[in-house]
Amino acid sequence: MANAVIMPKAGITVESCIIGTWEKNIGDAVKVGDILFTYETDKASFECESTEEGTLLEIFFQDGDEVPCLMNVCAIGNPGEDCSALRPTGAAPAEDVPAAQAVAEVKEEAPVAQAAIPTTASGDKTAVSPRAKKLAERAGVDAALATPTGPNGRIIERDVRTLMDNPAVASAPQAQTAPAAAIPEAEYEDVKFSGIRRAISKSMHTSLSTMAQLTHNTSFDASAILAYRKLLKASEGECAGITLGDIVLYAVSRTLLNHPDLNAHMLDDNNIRLFKHVNLGVAVDTPRGLMVPTIFNADQKSLLEISKEVKELAAQCREGNISPDKLSGGTFTVSNLGNMGVESFTPVINPPQTGILGVCGTVDRVKKGKDGEIKIYPAMGLSLTYDHRAVDGTPAARFQKELGYNLENFTMLLAK
Amino acid sequence: MPKSLFVDPVETLAPGKITFNDIPVNVYNRTIEEERKRFSDDDLVRIYRDITVLREFESMLSLIKTQGVYNGIETTYPGPAHLSVGQEAAAVGQAYLLDQNDFSFGSHRSHSEILAKALSCIHKLSEQDLMTIMEGFLGGSALRATEKLGPVDDVKELAIRFILYGTLSEIFARETGFHKGMGGSMHAFFLPFGIYPNNAIVGGSAAIATGAALFKKVNGKQGIVVCNSGDGSMARGPVWEAMNFAAMDQFHTLWESHNGGMPILYNVFNNSYGMGDQTRGETMGYDMLARIGSGVSPTQFHAERVNGFNPLAVIDAMERKLEILRKGEGPVMLDTLTYRYSGHSVSDQNAYRTKEEIEAWQAIDPIITYRKSLVDAGVASDSKMEEILAKTAERMTMICKAASDPEVSPYVNFKTDPAVVERMMFSNEKVEKFDDREPEVNMPLEEVPAYKKLKEKERCPIKDGKPVSKMKLFNLRDAMSEVIYDRFYEDPTLIAYGEDCRDWGGAFAVYRGMMDAFPHCRLFNSPIAEAAIVGTAVGYALSGGRALVELMYADFIGCAGDEIFNQMSKWQAMSAGILKMPVVLRVSVGSKYGAQHSQDWTALCAHIPGLKVCFPATPWEAKGLMEAALKGTDPVVFFESQRIYDVGEQFHEGGVPAERYEIEFGDTNKVRDGKDVTILTIGAALYRAMDAAKQLSEKYGMEADVINIHSLVPLDYTKIIESVRKTGRVVLVSDACARGSFLNDVAKNITELCFDDLDAPPVVVGARNWITPPFEFDEFFFPQAGWIIDAIHEKLVPLPGHVVENGCTEAEACRRAKEGV
Repeated sequence: MANAVIMPKAGITVESCIIGTWEKNIGDAVKVGDILFTYETDKASFECESTEEGTLLEIFFQDGDEVPCLMNVCAIGNPGEDCSALRPTGAAPAEDVPAAQAVAEVKEEAPVAQAAIPTTASGDKTAVSPRAKKLAERAGVDAALATPTGPNGRIIERDVRTLMDNPAVASAPQAQTAPAAAIPEAEYEDVKFSGIRRAISKSMHTSLSTMAQLTHNTSFDASAILAYRKLLKASEGECAGITLGDIVLYAVSRTLLNHPDLNAHMLDDNNIRLFKHVNLGVAVDTPRGLMVPTIFNADQKSLLEISKEVKELAAQCREGNISPDKLSGGTFTVSNLGNMGVESFTPVINPPQTGILGVCGTVDRVKKGKDGEIKIYPAMGLSLTYDHRAVDGTPAARFQKELGYNLENFTMLLAK
Repeated sequence: MPKSLFVDPVETLAPGKITFNDIPVNVYNRTIEEERKRFSDDDLVRIYRDITVLREFESMLSLIKTQGVYNGIETTYPGPAHLSVGQEAAAVGQAYLLDQNDFSFGSHRSHSEILAKALSCIHKLSEQDLMTIMEGFLGGSALRATEKLGPVDDVKELAIRFILYGTLSEIFARETGFHKGMGGSMHAFFLPFGIYPNNAIVGGSAAIATGAALFKKVNGKQGIVVCNSGDGSMARGPVWEAMNFAAMDQFHTLWESHNGGMPILYNVFNNSYGMGDQTRGETMGYDMLARIGSGVSPTQFHAERVNGFNPLAVIDAMERKLEILRKGEGPVMLDTLTYRYSGHSVSDQNAYRTKEEIEAWQAIDPIITYRKSLVDAGVASDSKMEEILAKTAERMTMICKAASDPEVSPYVNFKTDPAVVERMMFSNEKVEKFDDREPEVNMPLEEVPAYKKLKEKERCPIKDGKPVSKMKLFNLRDAMSEVIYDRFYEDPTLIAYGEDCRDWGGAFAVYRGMMDAFPHCRLFNSPIAEAAIVGTAVGYALSGGRALVELMYADFIGCAGDEIFNQMSKWQAMSAGILKMPVVLRVSVGSKYGAQHSQDWTALCAHIPGLKVCFPATPWEAKGLMEAALKGTDPVVFFESQRIYDVGEQFHEGGVPAERYEIEFGDTNKVRDGKDVTILTIGAALYRAMDAAKQLSEKYGMEADVINIHSLVPLDYTKIIESVRKTGRVVLVSDACARGSFLNDVAKNITELCFDDLDAPPVVVGARNWITPPFEFDEFFFPQAGWIIDAIHEKLVPLPGHVVENGCTEAEACRRAKEGV
């Protein structure tokens, strides 16, 4: 019976060896201990002695072939004997195996974009990476406004890049103010801004530093709305709570639809977004500072609905439980300082809106009637600030004029 | 383990006994009358003169250090003064028969040896030769300075002034010193007279001198080598290693036409004291130091004890030892008895010995007794001797005045030339060969079987779209072998040795098959003696040859600490650039072999000024760096990793080029392009970093720039800065324990150089600060791909959905630091 000679294992870590040269040829008589072939590892070369006696029947691997350890290398037996059963199945060159594996190796999943998860700082100081700081300086944005996503709440480069993509909040003061003259410490107190104060501060500054704002002051004869208000107050029903401010809001919500440039958002220097409905922002004074909740679709709400909603929103603002959703999305804002006796002012636009109406107090004025008679009437002031980038002076004045007309003829407006 | 030597069990186990020859002790007993037949009266008087020159030199230094004044010259200097007052006669006796082809090495107490050898050479050399030497040294600047001392007709007298002035200004740290003051008292030397470096490390010269003897033996150079040390050095391991190295049997059994003993004399100036310890009677047990040779070799090193208080006895012993060396029967050893009157240094209060003992030796001071013997025998008159003393003092006064005068002997000016030492640190030369003779080889390179096989390998890991099998792939090991073969056939002085380098081919087979190509004298097995391996390489290189030596495991660097950190690294600059140090020291970072065989100690080497340190991680890098290392003239610690000897070239386009090329030291190797994060690697960690880069790309869409730092010293940061400026984030990875890792140095430099571009501080990912646990726990100790991703997630930029497995929070980092783990 023919027997095989195997490739010896030349060491624990050796997995395969290369055949150097065959010392015996097929047909040669072989004794146990005869050197059949030389083989080598990466470190040394060895001689393989025959473990069998007989005739060398077949050689399965040639000089230079790499053979896994313990695999049959040749067959020794009696001349003419069949030794095909000893022939290793994988006697093909070793290169084929890893090649097949390499082909099988396919990328399993496509790369996922790097997503940023906001992180929280361990301390109360906002850390900004030097790279992020440098980028912010170059881009003229305030890195501190960015939402941190780095380790330990650090603002990193990508956070500033995100901020830069949102220009409304990104701009930073350019000039440093000179340090104040020395004042004894007991004479003042340094107070840290609240979150709302910081937001107002940034938003107002951004507004004034990025827009072309100007204000028109007009007034109208408030006799009609005062009379209407008197009527409502006397009604003792739920309409009794409707205020002069509510009436102005109602008039604004109706008038704005004819002046789409003022019911709009400036997207950037080249684009403006015009809204089909009026989402009216209403400035509300709260103990924490100014807040501006929104009456969505005010143009579709009745005077009573507007009045009730304003009260509700103002209450929520003062209590601090208003949903953040209701603090954004306004398309135009009304700010009412009338009950404080302000006669005219320059309200600051809430970006990215294009206009804001300031409602002032009522003063008695005189005018010459149709009959030439001097008449005293209550005049209510309206201060419209608009973004001249979006709206020119005449259209703005036209809006103000129409609004005044609607308020002077309020019952007619209600009828529409 | 040469097969030609049969370890015969019968012979090995046969009974018998070891016999010793008698060791002569102070056997000299000739009278002056007898010596007058051997020496002329002039010679005998000149010996006296030389002793007085040495004594005056040391006495001057003693006065300057203790009183700040010598013969009216007020001066002092802050450096060391290990004086050999009392030992002068022994030095003069030793030098008497030596010439400039004989090299002498010394210790921290070697002023007398330097001057004695110089005076001996001045006497032997012709006036013309002396002028040529003095004109040629440092472009004649030292001679110009000497000439300023005043006119002199006699060239020999000029040469004496030259050597005294050059030595003293060196001690005074002046630019006019033989090595611009950079060596100083303990490292003064003068190569043209065969006076080689002295050494501030006790016994530090032993292996270096042995290497110099190896250089003479291998390259067939004239002369012998004298290794001087004190008796205190006999307790030092490297001294024993050196003597054992010099005594190797292979010099007689295997070196064929180069067979013969090492031409070296181990001379101990035995003054009975280490610093304050008494070597005989207290801190050692040899009784008589001459016994030591018997412990090293059956020749007993032909050792004898000789009376160093009699210059003629020393000359007599030297004559016999030189004869043995010239017959090729070295090494030899002398136990030269002497005594120092002064303390170890000027701060030594002699607490360890009595005044009576010092006085007893002073009573037989050769400066008195030898002089008396000459006068008594009628060799010279007393007045002649007085004349000599007067002339010696007069000359020394003149020299001291000049050497201490900053106008005549200025200091190197660091203010006007801040880079003065910087320029000395590395020689940065390229030398094809250090000798023009044909390299000694056994066969033409193209016929060397292993070299042929190497040339047939596939140089690229992919061939025809298929991966090449490991066995046929040209790997990192082959890349080094290829260069070593080439350089062996170019530079006849190149030799390679280390543990098991020859028959075994090195533990990691880099020298595989080279024994076919090179005779023993160029490639041989050394004893397991790391200090001797590196120390002899230092001596071989500073003598003018090129040495490639191996420590097998990087962990053995500790065994050769002094030789690597103090000798190999420092001699170029301490010699002000006169010496070159073309030594390439291969060290292999192990794996699987536990705590004492697995350490990456690049940081230790990189910390030491004067060493170039590289760590190739790809075959392309290994070939280019080895080529540069083996052509350069600077000492290189060449780190290798046992994890990657088998890797093929995966990064360089086209694989490893077949043609020769060099990679400049300092360069870095960028192996992957990315924009999101930079990963810097050292050593085998490169491959785990590449795994991490792949995962980052596939899972997080993040592309890493991967740069391998294959040259740690020098290191050009240009490409690193460029990458970090681009990505803003950097992780540094190596297998070295993180604490004190070289990566921290790189990280700190990046922080400084790229601060405003960083999105987060650089993060070092190193091995834990533990012992290396068994291989089974590698993943818990050495940085893995996952650790790199964890570090990115925790320290640089959070990765969505990533779950940290091996992270380290700030609190945890503080705890580990506090615990020291």
